[in-house]
Amino acid sequence: MPDATRLSRGEFLHGVRIITARELEACFDSPIAYIYSAVFLVLSSAMFMNTFFLAAVVDMSAYFEILPYLLIPFAAAITMRTWSEEMAQGTLELLLTLPLRPFQVVLGKYLATLCFYAFILLGSLPIVIMLVWLGDPDGGLILASYLGALFLGAFFLAFGLFASCLSRDQIVAFVLAVLLGSVFVLSGHDKVVEVVDGLTPGWQLGTWLCESVSAMPHYRSFGRGILGAGDVLYFVLMSAFFLWMNEIALQRSKF
Amino acid sequence: MISVESVTKRYGALKAVVDLSFQVDYGEIVGFIGPNGAGKSTILKMLSTYIRPTRGRITVDGLDVVEDSLAVRRRIGYLAGDTPLYPGMRVDKFLAFIGKARGMSGGGLQQGLDRVVELCGLEPVLLQRISQCSTGYRQRIGLATALIHDPPILLLDEPTHGFDPLQVLAFREMLGRLRPGRVILFSTHIVADVEAVSDRILIIHQGRILGSGTLGELSAASGRPGRSLEEIFAHLVRESATTESAHA
Repeated sequence: MPDATRLSRGEFLHGVRIITARELEACFDSPIAYIYSAVFLVLSSAMFMNTFFLAAVVDMSAYFEILPYLLIPFAAAITMRTWSEEMAQGTLELLLTLPLRPFQVVLGKYLATLCFYAFILLGSLPIVIMLVWLGDPDGGLILASYLGALFLGAFFLAFGLFASCLSRDQIVAFVLAVLLGSVFVLSGHDKVVEVVDGLTPGWQLGTWLCESVSAMPHYRSFGRGILGAGDVLYFVLMSAFFLWMNEIALQRSKF
Repeated sequence: MISVESVTKRYGALKAVVDLSFQVDYGEIVGFIGPNGAGKSTILKMLSTYIRPTRGRITVDGLDVVEDSLAVRRRIGYLAGDTPLYPGMRVDKFLAFIGKARGMSGGGLQQGLDRVVELCGLEPVLLQRISQCSTGYRQRIGLATALIHDPPILLLDEPTHGFDPLQVLAFREMLGRLRPGRVILFSTHIVADVEAVSDRILIIHQGRILGSGTLGELSAASGRPGRSLEEIFAHLVRESATTESAHA
């Protein structure tokens, strides 16, 4: 049943901002955030450098090709504690009895994880500087690829947050988010599409999954420098869907 | 005013609260007493809007806890059982977060903070992380979160848990000072707390109210005036068990 009390836009945004600020403070107050950032940056940069020196081409495409696979465990690691920890230490009761709508809390937490991810993504800027120093990379392509990485991360964080809401155990939340991430990434991998198509010859299930479910075709468009409305819409709608599911899961916990 | 009308709460097959009705008016302190698992916390969780009743209706100042939950949450101060707090946060920052989430800002927030720090005696731990505070201080921080916005309705679940005898006395004095113009409802399984501060006592067992009234009224109703609250409580629980076995 919807709540009869109305909130002005200012009140709504104020509540979201309070939650985002607390989450970010808690995040950067813990050594885990710095460990995650360091591991992600070292791994992504090392894998990129390996390809970069072999191909000897001044562009970042190798970095953005690796990114979805690294994001599967990384986004799950960022989001796994978000709700699970609240449930385990009982603070969910504190949060949900404050005069805030559940969606304000969901959005506040989501924006905090998104800011953290964006902060880590910025950590790869030295690669851009190095490329500019070494040659003449396509700036527009790099910018579009970063935008794609941001949209992809926003989507991963949305379903990671939802997975965290389903269990008070952080490990369960992590595994669920990794499973979901694997579905959305691997269903767009050529080899997987071939195998699944082979297993379902009449249905072409692999192709259908790749075209309809997978995030990869939409992400790859950004990597080609194309900012298509359909690709942006896919990420926005999918992220919104999981945030909405998250709110529903919170509301269900009241029964 | 709090009004609970024929409320039942089920957790799956388990009936935590069964067809419960009562009212609490302004200026009244009402204490719930009952053994662990009696349904005391469930009632407070429903009043705080954290969970919804399966059946029946609960209103706070005429506002329905399901349909107007946000407006209800603005009017209440709630200390949940086990005192949930963020252990990694500093006490002052935690209280400021709660105040801001309750819509306080600027001078109003500072006044609220100063008031609860003084009222709950939090000055010595204000700059410490919550994880470094003792159980008694954590309980006081929980009380401060319930009081920071000066709410007209106070719901306290086991508020003296972890307090030493001096802190218990200080808490009882504080409740007395908070009484005017407020509805105060608290749950406990410590008989002395209920006896000392309650205007009215509700005895709960297996989700049902076994008795309601002042100590004198309960004592008279039990058939033997002069009985202590422990004796009345034991008598009512035994009587309820006998009735149930007779029905079975």
